[in-house]
Amino acid sequence: MNNGSTQSSAAIVFERITKTYKNGTLEVPVLHGIDLVVKHGEYVAIMGPSGSGKSTMMNIIGCLDRATSGSYHLDGEDVSDLDDNALAAIRLRKLGFIFQGFNLLARTDAIKNVSLPLFYAGIGTKERERRAVAALDEVGLGDRAHHKPNELSGGQQQRVAIARALINDPAVLLADEPTGNLDTKTSADIMALFDKLHEQGRTIIMVTHDEEVASQARRIIRLRDGLIVADEQASPTTAG
Amino acid sequence: MYLDEAWRILVANRIRSLLTILGLIIGVGAVVAIQVLGTSMAGAVNGALGTFADNTFIIFPDATQRNVRQAAIRLSDLPALRAIPGIQDALPIEQFQDLVRVGHNVARERIGAEGAIPFNNLPAIYGRIISSSDVALATDVCVLPYDAYTHLFPQGGDPTGQSIYVGPHRYLIVGVLSKPKQGFLNANFGGGGISIPWTTYVRNYIRGDSIFAARFVTADASDIPALELAVIAKLRALRGGAQGLAYQMFDKSQVTGSINGIFNAITLVVGLIGAVSLLVAGIGIMNIMLVSVAERTREIGVRKAIGARRAQILWQFFIEALLLCSSGCMIGMLIGLAIGGFVNAAFIVRLTGTTVAIPFAQAFGIAAGFAVIVTLAFGTYPAYRAARLDPIEALRYE
Ligand SMILES: Nc1ncnc2c1ncn2[C@@H]1O[C@H](COP(=O)(O)OP(=O)(O)OP(=O)(O)O)[C@@H](O)[C@H]1O
Ligand SMILES: [Mg+2]
Repeated sequence: MNNGSTQSSAAIVFERITKTYKNGTLEVPVLHGIDLVVKHGEYVAIMGPSGSGKSTMMNIIGCLDRATSGSYHLDGEDVSDLDDNALAAIRLRKLGFIFQGFNLLARTDAIKNVSLPLFYAGIGTKERERRAVAALDEVGLGDRAHHKPNELSGGQQQRVAIARALINDPAVLLADEPTGNLDTKTSADIMALFDKLHEQGRTIIMVTHDEEVASQARRIIRLRDGLIVADEQASPTTAG
Repeated sequence: MYLDEAWRILVANRIRSLLTILGLIIGVGAVVAIQVLGTSMAGAVNGALGTFADNTFIIFPDATQRNVRQAAIRLSDLPALRAIPGIQDALPIEQFQDLVRVGHNVARERIGAEGAIPFNNLPAIYGRIISSSDVALATDVCVLPYDAYTHLFPQGGDPTGQSIYVGPHRYLIVGVLSKPKQGFLNANFGGGGISIPWTTYVRNYIRGDSIFAARFVTADASDIPALELAVIAKLRALRGGAQGLAYQMFDKSQVTGSINGIFNAITLVVGLIGAVSLLVAGIGIMNIMLVSVAERTREIGVRKAIGARRAQILWQFFIEALLLCSSGCMIGMLIGLAIGGFVNAAFIVRLTGTTVAIPFAQAFGIAAGFAVIVTLAFGTYPAYRAARLDPIEALRYE
């Protein structure tokens, strides 16, 4: 990872990333120097006990927060020292977020929810709609385009959220406990969708507590007390 | 996009939105209503006074003073007053009422003294007005005002060449004046009746020397204030320098001036009420916008996570505040126009016969101005708060 070509070809390159929260005079060190390379097209699950720093790491990967020290290249771009607006622009262009609680806008139909990132990107109404319909088709919700969140099931809402995350064709899809609010059956559907996206070549990074869910990923990273304690390539699972 | 999202939010919270803008509705409604009324009142007063000539003024003794008799203006004063530089003419104002007969028609009318330069700038619909040779020769002619014409000639038609009879006197009708645009302010002040040359009036009706009032014609209307003082000074001099004598004066600019003064005072008071109600309304709007930002913290977090820049969040809440304020101001404007228009039509136009165009453009300007000012003053801070939220904390917000 000291190799420049690795940095530009990888989706994510963390070098000695640390994070320390400061609450007044109290300093809470959470990440203690994380090195990580995620290549394009990888499907990674991050696991670890509660409080180990998974969400903190995801926030940094997602450019929602900045590391205290270390350097971070996202899709070949150094994003370690960008200001808020520049980070917003990176999130808009390169990242797609999927949340545990779906986080769709209430009273807003699926198509509008899905096309919101394109609105912030300054893309015109017609084009937004066209692409939103295509994204909803991709997640199997083409026939629910004009339903509002309260008219959709949890699984369907999460699909809308996934369509929204996909709409700007992001370099990395980030999901923090995407199935945390779903029952087993619906979780399986969502995981199948993730699988399909992975096969299409998407880069996916997912936090989960569920070994079963994690086992769908091709690589599992385990965190403990702010350090990576294990980084396993899953053996290719076969159905059965 | 910003607009229809804002609209959706306001409609979803319609009761809250309505309560929030109530203050604006009342404030803007009151200001616009008063503005409409002020404009139509001013128009009505100008309409009523419009025919009263600019370049004349009237002086009369103050009737409340102890020595009224000494203060009275006399016919014999007029030549001296006429000699004051700047005064073109000085003539007596006198009138009385009597039965006037034409053929079989009899009506009670006012008969007044008139000069060649008339009281009111009304055109003649038939014939002519009193001429200077009528005055010089004290001819037995008369000019009918429109109302007397309708009383005496209900069948209409050109009456010039016929005569009216007033007691033992007979006057030849030489003209009829057009209908004046007035009724609410009867700005006659001695004019307005059937006019005969003032010299004829003096010969036929004035027994003593003193007269009711005197009217003066000036070359230049802007000299009136100075000339009024000059005339009063001269009158006191003619009474042997009696300082205590009090006189009053009347001219058009004085009346319009004092009426404008009243309107300015009303406007000031209403403006203050409007400003206070807007301040209160604005604080209410700021409060509700802060509540809205707090309630939607999570939504703001999501928007930021998916890439909204600060300016885009700021703009969203700013548009929402603007929409809230402008709906309040526009509803207020419509209510104000309705109230103002109703009072105008029901009372002012009825009483004065003067129709003034409702100032739609100004009303819209007031409403739009208030909307922008209140939004800028009270919507900016909540929008700024929203834009500054940290996305992680906002996403964690329950
Ligand atoms: N804003 C903050 N200020 C101070 N400490 C924080 C802050 N955010 C997180 N922490 C601390 O950092 C540590 C890691 O938190 P993080 O949310 O990353 O854990 P996690 O691995 O995602 O846990 P979970 O599985 O429960 O979601 C925790 O001890 C937490 O208390
Ligand atoms: Mg977490």
